[in-house]
Amino acid sequence: MTLLTDEVRSYIGREGPTFAACDAVEAGAVRRYAQAIMDPDPAYASDQEGVRYGGAVAPPLYPSFMFRTPFGAPDVLTERAHDPDFDGIVMGVGNGLPELPLHGLALLNGGAEVEFFAYARHGERVLQKSHFADIQEKQTKSGPMLLVIFETEFTNEAGQLLLRSRKTIIRR
Amino acid sequence: MRERINFEDVSVGDAVGPLGKGPFTTPHLMRWSAAMENWHKIHYDQPFTTGHDKLPGLLINGSLKQQFIAQLLKDWAGRDGWMWKVSFQFRAMNVVGETLSVWARVTGKREMPDYGLVDLDVGISNERGVESTPGSAVVALPYRGRAPVPYPFVPPAPV
Repeated sequence: MTLLTDEVRSYIGREGPTFAACDAVEAGAVRRYAQAIMDPDPAYASDQEGVRYGGAVAPPLYPSFMFRTPFGAPDVLTERAHDPDFDGIVMGVGNGLPELPLHGLALLNGGAEVEFFAYARHGERVLQKSHFADIQEKQTKSGPMLLVIFETEFTNEAGQLLLRSRKTIIRR
Repeated sequence: MRERINFEDVSVGDAVGPLGKGPFTTPHLMRWSAAMENWHKIHYDQPFTTGHDKLPGLLINGSLKQQFIAQLLKDWAGRDGWMWKVSFQFRAMNVVGETLSVWARVTGKREMPDYGLVDLDVGISNERGVESTPGSAVVALPYRGRAPVPYPFVPPAPV
């Protein structure tokens, strides 16, 4: 049995749209984020301390956490308030990639690689674009599994690449 | 946050850190969940986490642990250096009550025209020495007496 059908294979290379996070990099949101990760780097609050980066910046991974549920979106927490199996996960805006035709296969986080190129500065808008970089099949004792590798690039409005993440999702 | 560490001042085998975090409480996880607007119950809803999902306790977010590795490497590289690449896997759970130690160790050095590259192993262990987030990283450092690593960072041409 193979999970890597021609149909699944045809997703390799497929791209999602480029789209912007709902909010620009906000000083208050950066402060709460920096306090939550317990990183007191003064460049997160001060233009002077962030002078090498062109002003105050957000923490390195911040751009990848900016894609929140936009204003006006349905309120999933209320919609599922009476569902005892609701785990609280609200998918938000996702990464723009289509769902793979892998009905019923469990999904596990298999790790990530992140490359950093620049910080997002306070006030900047951030965009992302993803594509399926690879889909591989592996045989394990408990049967076949798929490694789905997708890459996301985060840029600012000027087109400067901020970071690139390469995530591996295990489907089995 | 240091200003500068030179490539020449680093040797294979050097320890970086450790950076201590914790002990972690439920409010720590609440604060991070709120900051990133992630409402997954396994980080703050004890009855759901242990009863419904049968987990040993409230889980420290993997998304939070990766921030700590980034902080350790960024601060070590200093303003004149640059954390280029980090990869890691989430191998084990960490739960509320644990104290984490974020570590890195230099495994290699490579000279590029404009800066040096330092390869590292990275990870996060708890007070019992259990490793949860093993990975590797590449940090760019300036040469002594030379300009800082270019910002925005420009990776070396692939060989």
